[in-house]
Amino acid sequence: MTTMPRRRHPSRPAWEEEPGAAAQAATGTVLTVVVLAVLVPLWVVLLTSVSSRESINAAGGLVVVPRELDFSAYRIIFSGGQITKALLVSTLVTVAGTALSLVVTVLAAYGLSRPGSLMHRGLLFYFLLTFLIHPGLVPHYLVVTGLGLKDSLWALILPTAVSVFNLVVVRAFFQNIPAELLDSARLDGAGEFRILWRIVLPLSKAVIAVVGLFYAVGYWNTWFNALLYIDDNEKFPIQRVLQSYILAGQAPQTSGTVGAALPPALAIKMAVVVVTVAPIALVYPFVQRHFTRGVIVGAIKG
Amino acid sequence: MSQAQASRPVVAGPVPPAGTGAPARPAPARRRRSPLRARLRRDWPLLVMVAPGALLLAVFHYLPALGNVVAFQDYNPYLGDGALQALAASPFVGLENFRELFADPAFWDAFRNTLAITAFQLVFFFPLPIALAILLNSLMSGRLRGFVQTVVYLPHFFSWVLVVTFFVQMLGGAGLLSQELRDAGLTPPQIMSNPDTFIVLVTAEAVWKDLGWGTIVFLAALAAVDPNLYEASAVDGAGRWRRLWHITLPGLRPVIVLLLILRLGDALSVGFEQFLLQRDAVGRQAAEVLDTFVYHHAIATGDYGFGAAAGLFKALVGLVLILAANRFAHVLGERGVYSRS
Amino acid sequence: MTTPAGPSADRRTFLSLLGLSAAAVAAGGSLAGCGDKATRSGTTQELDKLAEVLPEQRALTVNVPKPDIVGTRPVADGYTRFPAQLVDAIAEKPGAGGPAIRAMVPVWGPAPPAGASNAYLTAINAELGTPVEFSVQDGITYAEKLGAILGARDVPDLLCVPGWEVSKLARFGDAVRANFEDLTPYLQGAKVADYPMLGTFPAGAWRNACWNERLMAVPNPTDGPFPWALFHRKDLLTKAGLAVPASIDELFDVGKRATNADKGVWAFSDIFAMVQMFHKVPGSKDGWRLRADGTPEFKYETPEFRAAAEFMSRLYRAGLVHPDIVASKGADAQQLLKSGKIMFHQDGIGMWQLMQAEQQKVTPGFDVQPVPLFSATGGNPLAWGDDEPISYTFVKKGLGKARVEEILRVVDWCSAPFGTAEFDLREYGVQGRHHTRGADGPVKTELGFKEIQNQYFFISGRSPVVQPYPQTPQYVPQLLAYSNETVKNLEKDPWDGLKFEMPAKYKAGMVPTQDKITDIVRGRRPMSDLDVVVTEWRAAGGDEARQLLGSALADAGR
Repeated sequence: MTTMPRRRHPSRPAWEEEPGAAAQAATGTVLTVVVLAVLVPLWVVLLTSVSSRESINAAGGLVVVPRELDFSAYRIIFSGGQITKALLVSTLVTVAGTALSLVVTVLAAYGLSRPGSLMHRGLLFYFLLTFLIHPGLVPHYLVVTGLGLKDSLWALILPTAVSVFNLVVVRAFFQNIPAELLDSARLDGAGEFRILWRIVLPLSKAVIAVVGLFYAVGYWNTWFNALLYIDDNEKFPIQRVLQSYILAGQAPQTSGTVGAALPPALAIKMAVVVVTVAPIALVYPFVQRHFTRGVIVGAIKG
Repeated sequence: MSQAQASRPVVAGPVPPAGTGAPARPAPARRRRSPLRARLRRDWPLLVMVAPGALLLAVFHYLPALGNVVAFQDYNPYLGDGALQALAASPFVGLENFRELFADPAFWDAFRNTLAITAFQLVFFFPLPIALAILLNSLMSGRLRGFVQTVVYLPHFFSWVLVVTFFVQMLGGAGLLSQELRDAGLTPPQIMSNPDTFIVLVTAEAVWKDLGWGTIVFLAALAAVDPNLYEASAVDGAGRWRRLWHITLPGLRPVIVLLLILRLGDALSVGFEQFLLQRDAVGRQAAEVLDTFVYHHAIATGDYGFGAAAGLFKALVGLVLILAANRFAHVLGERGVYSRS
Repeated sequence: MTTPAGPSADRRTFLSLLGLSAAAVAAGGSLAGCGDKATRSGTTQELDKLAEVLPEQRALTVNVPKPDIVGTRPVADGYTRFPAQLVDAIAEKPGAGGPAIRAMVPVWGPAPPAGASNAYLTAINAELGTPVEFSVQDGITYAEKLGAILGARDVPDLLCVPGWEVSKLARFGDAVRANFEDLTPYLQGAKVADYPMLGTFPAGAWRNACWNERLMAVPNPTDGPFPWALFHRKDLLTKAGLAVPASIDELFDVGKRATNADKGVWAFSDIFAMVQMFHKVPGSKDGWRLRADGTPEFKYETPEFRAAAEFMSRLYRAGLVHPDIVASKGADAQQLLKSGKIMFHQDGIGMWQLMQAEQQKVTPGFDVQPVPLFSATGGNPLAWGDDEPISYTFVKKGLGKARVEEILRVVDWCSAPFGTAEFDLREYGVQGRHHTRGADGPVKTELGFKEIQNQYFFISGRSPVVQPYPQTPQYVPQLLAYSNETVKNLEKDPWDGLKFEMPAKYKAGMVPTQDKITDIVRGRRPMSDLDVVVTEWRAAGGDEARQLLGSALADAGR
């Protein structure tokens, strides 16, 4: 094996050595395997969602090799007239919910990030315990309906507004910020809110992006609370509507009447997966833009 | 960064040190003696910040969680004139539900299975997202990195039915592998219905579903590592692996430890649907976990007191594991999730 | 929708979608097959005390057209054509103009538009005089919603509880007492005359609608008493030169010859229930019968069950069951049958017409048929069956006498039978908008499919019939022929009319025992372990249940 002179990657820092051929080959292999292990099933899901009954029958289920394309599963989902409304509802819930959750979580995470502060241990324990003890279904229902939140979009937001998992992750990142920065700001007379806003948050873009993603995905996929608390069709979130399509291909037969042929049930199921995943996949690149190096450097220098 | 923390000077004076340092370091005694009013004056903004979250949890978590009192009752939700009256009307039975739980050998089977799966996954699953995150982070091409990241986390959104179906299509008796082997004149192995290797199978399924999703937090943590440290280290002659060992991993360590502790707190939950789907394929002995046991024994039979008792037991075990892991983390000089002082 | 078998077939699909097999759910007490509560000791509801609470069965005064094929009860009569003339069954508006009646019903598929934006609801509500406002819930997750609202006692005026959900809801008898109005004073005996449509329902359906020895709901009577059928791809078997099996050896033999792993074809899905039926394993109350000495015995204790388990384990051992089905409860067995990847599949009768209608359009010659019931051991075969209704409609407790009567009149209107104008409107909506009418009967328009989702069907019942299916003209005669033949061998239930709350211990012991039997059938444990399993089962509540069933008979004087 001869060492070929390789072009240096433009973004590689000057101090970093070029990886060896073996290392590159290993990296390439691992990534190829990992990506293919996901892409092939994704392809199968996508293809099955646009397959005709004949194709699905021939494949005996999930379709791997394209034959005859048939977009009727999507047509069924998008022609019902409910999807557009549900998309609006879900967007509203996701945006409002994520904003609220981030505010509450960031505040609480910062408030809990300083051991030794007043009631710190007790409060931290109070938050952590919710990670372990869970309420039952009926008491939860009683509280939410008791607050008059039935058929209110707040029922989709408030009960899940605080995730203690997200909170402790944010807290861990906050605690990793060099304390000198905060201390010197305090010496300069900055209050806690100001420190959080001016120093901690700019340094924590990556974790805020991550936790924001976690919250947003949670709100976007909210479904069980909608099942329990939203009876009004007009306020159904997207997942509640999509789930109802899963069975559309196999609804109990309508008494002998002849009508439009429904697309195959499996195609609808897969189309529902696609419609669920697509928006998340579209938004993710904007989130990961915040996973950039050198945030801290910039902040310290600035 | 941990080095930076360790060497951080303690600031004296009216502004107390932000206690973000290693918890092993004893807190200054002065702080404990400071009068309540002074601490209130100093810390009230922190309390205000915590308040909204605490309030939301009080209303939507703790208030309904009071319902767990049924763990000590022979609870019947339909006694009395209303849902709340049913709580009052159901007789208290002390620890009877717990006794029933612990007396059932099937419970201990499920308990053992669950712990074994958790332990197995801690070893063979937990490190993988970290490794993948480091690998992705080492990629120079932003476009390639972005593409891989965007792709690999998507299976997280697949249902378990779909995940198991994919595995059946690949590894099942009518799947791709078996058909290839049959064409080659070989006898295909029973991968999907072998109780002895079930733990490997469920872990593989879990890895496929959540590997990419799990990398996201670590990618964020990697983004927070100061690149100047790498440069300084490289200038000092440290190679790729030394830099990984001395800079990358220490930078990730607090997050790794935190997630590890949280996972331990959830040690008795390894999933539900995944195990229910494959229960008949490998049998109860292999596939019964705590959540499926509770489902069959309590939820489906309406023995809510029993179910709540199982839930409280899980919480207790989780608490013990979290505290133990946390203490262990402190011994190692890590902050953990819950620190003293 | 008027094919009750439809939802009951779908139920299995739903469960498999959820990853919950019927067996997993049975822990909730489908054993009793009727209202349940987890009383620790178990209770019985006695037939004789029920006699006086049941409504009298009465014929309708208006003449609906005669059926084309008569079914032997409990098999419903069949119609092969839609009637040319519809009769008006109810002259007066049932509603007294009261406030809207809130109702919750299951729906399979996207929720239809609500309120005034739904022309179908508007049309029927105008007929009713008092509007019904529907909250439609996903059929697949209906049990979760029911569990929450029953426990929180937050039920609507009218609540539909499908029969298959009842077995999933623990302590259902208590839930009924706490949440719903006792309908006995309104419907018992001759009082049902005020509600002539309800008066036509068969007594078996009403008996099932009793809890705690009171009439608590309006049943939606079933038209098909059989829980399972063994379907086969007749077209494919014929093509392969294989005959429909008529004995257990032929079943194995045909299965063996139909299986070709290299081509990806296996003979069977999990057909254990049908194998048990072929072996004449008892099925009453989910597997009980009386020994010669009059004591109850459960199926696990019988030689018939042992033979069935041995046969089923042979099928597994010989590799005749499709590996996808072996590997996951989430496998789509119906799709495998459609694709010809399996030849035999056990499912509810409702699968039949749905699959035939759907697949004959894409697969020329597609023909799915039930295997005629046979006995593996000689003599007449044995058919499991019951007359459990499709669904129950409950009325909220404490609405007051006048309001309950108004609501019951609305339910009565919605229960008009096949051949009446009311039924036609309820099923097909407004002619010209929701359907057009051709020589073959009504054809639904797109609006019809969108707006009509059986809303009113699920708050009512009707005297059951098998309706015409113009798309599959052979279906009704074939179904009636199969059903009338099978019903001859319908198992006699020694506890007929008795409703049981099985002991909690027994219910908790069911799934563990089923797991052990699955282990044996699939070859993870030797067949000889069956004795051990039975001994363990007896200790885990089996004997307690036996005692309950035995003393119930003694008390009933049988």
